[in-house]
Amino acid sequence: MSTINFAAREINCKIVYYGPGMSGKTTNLKHVFSRVPGHLRGDMVSLATEDERTLFFDFLPLDLGTVQGFKTRFHLYTVPGQVFYNASRKLILRGVDGIVFVADSAPGRLRANAESMRNLRENLAEHGIDVREVPIVLQINKRDLPDALPTDMILSVIDPSRELQIFEAMAGTGVGVFETLKTVSRLVLERLSKNK
Amino acid sequence: MIEPSLELYGDAYERVDQQLQDLLDTTGVRYGLLVDRKGFVLSHKEALWAPRPPALDSVATLVASNAAATAALANLLGERTFSEQIHQGENGTLYVESVGDQTLLTLIFDSSVPLGKVKVYAKKAVAQMSAVLDELKDVPAVQLGDDFNKGVNALLDDLLG
Repeated sequence: MSTINFAAREINCKIVYYGPGMSGKTTNLKHVFSRVPGHLRGDMVSLATEDERTLFFDFLPLDLGTVQGFKTRFHLYTVPGQVFYNASRKLILRGVDGIVFVADSAPGRLRANAESMRNLRENLAEHGIDVREVPIVLQINKRDLPDALPTDMILSVIDPSRELQIFEAMAGTGVGVFETLKTVSRLVLERLSKNK
Repeated sequence: MIEPSLELYGDAYERVDQQLQDLLDTTGVRYGLLVDRKGFVLSHKEALWAPRPPALDSVATLVASNAAATAALANLLGERTFSEQIHQGENGTLYVESVGDQTLLTLIFDSSVPLGKVKVYAKKAVAQMSAVLDELKDVPAVQLGDDFNKGVNALLDDLLG
């Protein structure tokens, strides 16, 4: 649940970008960083390997502004997608308020998408979180690939019951990045205002 | 509820703030922060003589993540937790100590400040802060309401289109 600091008049919310390795989670954050005015965002912290694969997380603080006297701020995180970094992924989910699941449209990544979604559910459960309790938005990324898988095929493995909001995206060029972030932010804040 | 929220109200906040300030005054520490386990800054103080602090959001996030990783290591090694972390560089030291289950006291100081002294006073401050934070467990849940929702949606439209 979001941290509300009455004395400092601040509300902080944590949004985590989750998904298989190389699906474009860091690219989403880099786009946000590059397009949001400097006074509304902080430094981007990337803990990455030498070949720029996320090792622990990327982090970007984003100021929304002041509402009813409360400075409202989002902390955006990515997790490392590679299967063997699960301990890190689990830690980063602590206190999560909203999740963007970034799926990869590449033909060879269908199983990776499915495994990552299963891993998300398992890690949330380990934190005592039912997957239906936390706002989740799906971003089907890399739609510009010439051999991109049909969206329905991807959804059939990560959201077969079609419960989640979906955005098709090309994070490399920024298409769908803000739309996705806006939707998950809305869901998080709606939940906060209803105190659920 | 996904994670216990820590809502700092006036009196409790002021007492924690004052304890941080006292700690800085007594020990010569440069920056003092109270960070929650999710990586948000709850309170911070800096010595009058200190230069502009580093990005506090980033410091808090890294401290909380590091504490979480250290706790996971502790569990792997059969410990319940490692309650303190010390990172010493050539010119300065970062000292982190758990304040209950939800927060971390984070102190940044120059190498001229004796670590032993900081630890002694920090442990006293931690005990006092823990008592204050315990009182907050009974605080009623916050109600922000529909007006808040409308306001933030307008801001989201401005920021993200």
